[in-house]
Amino acid sequence: MSENVEKYIKRKVYKSTSSRIAQKFVDAGLEKIRACINCGTCTGSCPSGRRTAYRTRSAIRRALTGDESVLKDIDIWLCSTCYYCYERCPRDIPVTDMIIKLRNIAVEEGYILDSHFGLANDIFYATGHGVPATGENNKKWRDLRESYGLPPLPPTVHSYPEAVKECQELMNAVGFRKLLDNAAKLKEERAQAAKKDKEE
Amino acid sequence: MTEAKKEIKVTGNERPKIGVYICHCGVNIGGVVSVPDLVEYTKTLPNVEVAQEYKFFCSDVGQKIIKEDIEAGLVNRVVVAACSPRMHEPTFRITCKEAGLNQFLFEMANIREHSTWVHMRDPEGAYEIAKDHIRMAVAKARELKPLEVQKVKVEPSCLIIGGGVAGMNAALDLATEGYKVYLIEKTPTIGGHMAQLDKTFPTMDCSSCILTPKMSEISREKNIELLTYSEVVEVSGFIGNFEVTILKKPHYVDQEKCTGCGVCVDYCPVVVGNEFELGLATRKAIYIPFPQAIPGQYTIDMDNCIKCGICARIDVCEPEAINFDDKPEYLKIKVGTIIVATGWDLYDPTELKQYGYGRYPNVITGLQMERLLSSFGPVIGKPVRPSDLKEPHSIAFLQCVGSRNFREGGNQYCSRVCCMYATKQARQYKEKHPDADIYIFYMDIRAFGKGYEEFYESAGQNYGINFMRGRIAEVIEDDDHNIIIRAEDTLLQQPIELTVNLFVLSCGLEPRADADIITSLLRIQRSADGFFLEAHPKLRPVDTLTEGIFIAGVAQGPKDIPDAVAQAKGAASSAAVLMSQGEVEIEPFFAVVRPERCIGCGMCVENCAYGAIELVEDKWFGTVAKINEALCKGCGACSGNCRCSAIDIIGFTGEQIFSIIMGGEL
Repeated sequence: MSENVEKYIKRKVYKSTSSRIAQKFVDAGLEKIRACINCGTCTGSCPSGRRTAYRTRSAIRRALTGDESVLKDIDIWLCSTCYYCYERCPRDIPVTDMIIKLRNIAVEEGYILDSHFGLANDIFYATGHGVPATGENNKKWRDLRESYGLPPLPPTVHSYPEAVKECQELMNAVGFRKLLDNAAKLKEERAQAAKKDKEE
Repeated sequence: MTEAKKEIKVTGNERPKIGVYICHCGVNIGGVVSVPDLVEYTKTLPNVEVAQEYKFFCSDVGQKIIKEDIEAGLVNRVVVAACSPRMHEPTFRITCKEAGLNQFLFEMANIREHSTWVHMRDPEGAYEIAKDHIRMAVAKARELKPLEVQKVKVEPSCLIIGGGVAGMNAALDLATEGYKVYLIEKTPTIGGHMAQLDKTFPTMDCSSCILTPKMSEISREKNIELLTYSEVVEVSGFIGNFEVTILKKPHYVDQEKCTGCGVCVDYCPVVVGNEFELGLATRKAIYIPFPQAIPGQYTIDMDNCIKCGICARIDVCEPEAINFDDKPEYLKIKVGTIIVATGWDLYDPTELKQYGYGRYPNVITGLQMERLLSSFGPVIGKPVRPSDLKEPHSIAFLQCVGSRNFREGGNQYCSRVCCMYATKQARQYKEKHPDADIYIFYMDIRAFGKGYEEFYESAGQNYGINFMRGRIAEVIEDDDHNIIIRAEDTLLQQPIELTVNLFVLSCGLEPRADADIITSLLRIQRSADGFFLEAHPKLRPVDTLTEGIFIAGVAQGPKDIPDAVAQAKGAASSAAVLMSQGEVEIEPFFAVVRPERCIGCGMCVENCAYGAIELVEDKWFGTVAKINEALCKGCGACSGNCRCSAIDIIGFTGEQIFSIIMGGEL
């Protein structure tokens, strides 16, 4: 098929938008964000938003209109990905996926919470476990395992410390390390700039 | 006489002299490809005597250029390379006819839709395609033969399917003009959905007060044959000559003898849900749908009747009208035109589980609310909530239920009437209960009609109805069957929780569940939304693509009463145009059999969707196929399947099609 024909048979989607964040959604094939009619079904459905300041529709709306402050808003991390909004959206927008994408963009731009960075860098990258069983606090799990006649540590990187390197290699290969380093760098730069501002 | 004098005789044997007229169509064609280059190219094609360009050949001046060439004897076949034949083929055929040339010696090359529009970003490719189209049209023009248009008689009678407000208005207009009208209605009464409404927005006219006079007018009008409790089961024939078979379902009550006294109802022991009241009230197995029903004779619902025979007792039914042996009757009628006014169904919100319809008693649809508000409804206009029959203090309406919904089972379109009917119902309730709390949850208020915006504005300002911008996410029920609503007030950007006594779902309108049957019976089309497709969205809004069949009312798409009536009157007028002429011209593009080639295998008889072919005995060639020209639609199914190449479609003969193909390879 000639390139020309291919160009015409594809669904016509105007790819360019004025909002830098919305552009990232469109580039990722999530241009459905633009079908939103702001009905509020997502916010109304949100079990997290009923208790916190997280507002699903506002977050999507801010992303769509180019309000970049949404990236540093800690509220976007309060979504529990329960998929209520996704199920109910009358425009068939994958709302939860949008929020996850929004978080991805936030991390790419260095807006990562300290706790998340700590978990990713100090625990997950360092030990190969999201929830390691080695720490002092997790002794009860080791005891539990023993009470069932199991070895205290599972047959993972805990039992084979040399395999941690392989895990890290894998994480390097998929760009996880790079993402963290970049986020840390941007965050540091931003902190320096803020400090300078304050001094002045 | 002058026309006959001007007739230029063209026989098949005469040397073709082809005139090719290439239109710029402003910048539509001229802005993409170089028309002068196309003209130079065209001049190199065989048999082309004249090749010209002009800005708009469809203009009077443009047509005059073509006419002058014909009249001067320069050309005897015309090719116009311009837009789609759907736009201007009729125009240029008349141009040829006026200049004395047979109108079927004309061919159109569509270099706009097929070339310069779809390839506007690729001018070189578009130029090559335009050249191909012109070359193919010239090749076909070389093989064109003069043809005569066919004329068929139009019966001065019309079948109207659906006895709602649209069907009734169309029927009255046509009957008053003197045409015979068969008004057919599936249920035992005419009136349609409008009979279920209490008041109409924005004027607050009582719906049945303005509808029932029309209904009795229908029953009085001698040109209207009212066929209620009947369905169309078969339609054959074509424009002007439709043959329709109608099933008259058995009433089990002699409609001639029944006086409509209603004594039988008091005695009937069977109680079932009343479909006219949408389940909010009951009826007996012998019933009329509502007091003002027309005709006012009773019907027995045999699905629920226990045949106890009490109603047939002579002390119950004095006229002895009950007849348990009633049989369905089939009626054959012949009509010239058909109007489809089958109306709509309400969207069923049961599937939207988060709104609790069918689960919580105090969640009802807008149409049920209409019955509750109705002065002749189950609670004579004093709405109560179903769970405890108490008057609700607070009511919430939710808009766009099932509409503007891209999910499976939802409708993408806007139903147009819900904003207004919810506002109207809210105002009606507030008029009688000034201290009630009314909330309307909306996404956009579409108050588009005459007086609608004023009506909406007044609902907020004068009636104190709370318009809340946000779609309700979910509802739950408390111990007293109150409805707890969870939504976002999108203007405050706050999630809210609100408890109301009654929750009304403003459901949208949907195509009839049995629209498929009508589609296949009448061979008409439906658009993506499921409603019947009009021939042109702007200029032929009441015509279908099947000649002689028209659509009116919500069958074509959601609309309010004024629009439905306007469209019904438009459909009646369009049908009258055909019937008043008495005959119509149809294109002579039908199939013909060459008996010398036909072996009488009968394949074509099986393939013909219109029943236009039969096998006959020929004196010279034995068993051969014979085509009924009036029934033939010229679809070509027979021709394509004929193993002996014995069938040709006039206007698209084998020679012509092959010349196009060969012409394209030159």
